[in-house]
Amino acid sequence: MQRNARFDPVFFRNLVARQIRQDYLENITGFAWLILQPLMLLSVYAFVFTQIFRARIPDDGGVGFVPYLAIAFWPWTAFSESVLRASGSITANAALVSKVAFATEQLPLATVTATFLMHMIGYLAVLVVLALMGTELHWLFLLAVVPVLVLLWLLACAIALFASSTQVFLRDIAQILPPLMTFWFFMSPILYSPAILPDSLAGVMNWNPMTWFVGTLRSALLGGELGFSLAGLVMLVAVPLLVVLGLKWFRRFSGHFEDFL
Amino acid sequence: MRPLAQLQGVGKVYPRVHHPRERLRAFGSLLAGKPPREGAHVLSDIDLEVRQGESLGIIGENGAGKSTLLKILTGVIRPTTGTVSLAARTAALLELGAGFQPDFSGLDNIRMKASLLGIGRRELEARLDDILSFADIGEYIYEPVKHYSSGMVVRLGFAVVAASDPELLITDEVLAVGDESFQKKCVRWIDRFLDGGGTLLLVSHSMYLVNKLCRNAMWLHDGRVRACGESHAVTQEYLAWHESRDQEESRSRDRVSGDNGHYRVETLTLGQNGDRPLEGVLDKSVHELPVGDDLVAELVLRSPDGRTPVGMFGIVRADETAVYGVSSERAPTAAEALGDGLFRYRIRFPELALLPGRYRVRGHALDPEGLRVCDTAECELRVTGQSHELGMVRLQHQWQPED
Repeated sequence: MQRNARFDPVFFRNLVARQIRQDYLENITGFAWLILQPLMLLSVYAFVFTQIFRARIPDDGGVGFVPYLAIAFWPWTAFSESVLRASGSITANAALVSKVAFATEQLPLATVTATFLMHMIGYLAVLVVLALMGTELHWLFLLAVVPVLVLLWLLACAIALFASSTQVFLRDIAQILPPLMTFWFFMSPILYSPAILPDSLAGVMNWNPMTWFVGTLRSALLGGELGFSLAGLVMLVAVPLLVVLGLKWFRRFSGHFEDFL
Repeated sequence: MRPLAQLQGVGKVYPRVHHPRERLRAFGSLLAGKPPREGAHVLSDIDLEVRQGESLGIIGENGAGKSTLLKILTGVIRPTTGTVSLAARTAALLELGAGFQPDFSGLDNIRMKASLLGIGRRELEARLDDILSFADIGEYIYEPVKHYSSGMVVRLGFAVVAASDPELLITDEVLAVGDESFQKKCVRWIDRFLDGGGTLLLVSHSMYLVNKLCRNAMWLHDGRVRACGESHAVTQEYLAWHESRDQEESRSRDRVSGDNGHYRVETLTLGQNGDRPLEGVLDKSVHELPVGDDLVAELVLRSPDGRTPVGMFGIVRADETAVYGVSSERAPTAAEALGDGLFRYRIRFPELALLPGRYRVRGHALDPEGLRVCDTAECELRVTGQSHELGMVRLQHQWQPED
């Protein structure tokens, strides 16, 4: 109908850049916090699990708990934070949405992209720190995990599309989503290894997409192996499909956002 | 000339969203693919066509649906019924707030707005100086927009829009915010824009601007098109309606003294020579007349039974001192029947003798017998100019001895 109703690369880039500036670069320490905050969380978890619970990773291949946790923790943080931030992106940009005609799906997508990009910088920094502290990382496999991270980004995009459009109508999403994400975090083998689970639970765990992401990242970066699995194939089909469904869902409502903001 | 924008049978219903349950229901019906049809009917049955080079003013009271119409036109919201087609290559909407994000600096917002208007990054670099000098807000450009005055926001918005070289310019009541010199700048720009073949859609409460900038005007009333046509005619009709409504309000106070209101004043309008409107520059409800000019007053009366009511004109000073009154009973001409029970009286006061000051011109509807006043309407009149005489009226006089 109108040129502005389509995806617009220049505008999208502006949105992402603006988001990054707003979230991370506005205050001088913003960028430092980006790395400090997960580092602090990581050390809390590391302390609680290695010192108090004496958790051991049966299949860590001798890398120790902290690197085992860190490899999975950053991508999870990127994922969960981008979903949480993006879910409110329509309501947060009400002024823009109700005044200017543009493809509003760019808002959650830009928020996810900006958050993801920044956390990936943090991820790289952490990997370097780990390597300096003596963890043997398979750097070559870093290239191989890029598509895996892209897939994770896509998954975040899909969920953000569902959540942000629904939140316009059901404001409760803002309250429901954070505990749900916490639940998902503990239901994913991030703090622990799937190997310690009883068989009945492990079967259920395989339906959690995060299990595949976390497992693939670990085996690639720590173990130096990247095999094709059925689960990987399913993800390769399912995640893009979910994005398409998310877009469809979003566009069903996007023309009516203005009525409900 | 191809139509740049076209609306056909457009209607808009704002669903009720106050209660969470209502939101949930709306959510459900949207999910099922049915837009909610219950709620506030903001617009109904709007047909509109804007052709290239045209200038259309949209007028109407607050809440008449003007802004909603523009939002539908620009694609910000989807109409509930009807179709919209926008063929303009570039259409720029300029309104209060301009879609700026309050937390970001003016410069950031320029970038944002420019990319929304389809200005590329390199193009923007080239035009940035023009934009900044047009906006003329100095160092404020680096401050967050939330620290701007409303005038500065509009300056910035207009500057970006002007730089985007739109094919269709849509402005929603923005010119009223800027100061005098910026308003003039904008009006000059729009004039040049129109001369260059640009197309304008202007929402404004200033009939002066609508008349000045727009060839045609559309009057929206309660979400429907009440009148559409040549802008002078439409704005006149609109103003007359406003006046009669104001009187309606004041009359409803006066009329407590029983039912004597069979014959009503429909409109009372004041004009000058050649029916030039006497709209005041500052306050639209006060008519202005240079001292010594002709005054033409027109009174349209409604008769419920088809009999011709008697019309009466009167002038009082602002403090209610009666100056002059005249009834149609002894008039050499009869009322002009307009059909539908309407009758028109016109009176002309050549070289009106009132001295500068504030007056009220009243029109009365009397029963056909001329026995009682059934209805009254009044217009405020300010006679402008300078005079060294005292009193209300300039009387014919000659100083003696004559030379």
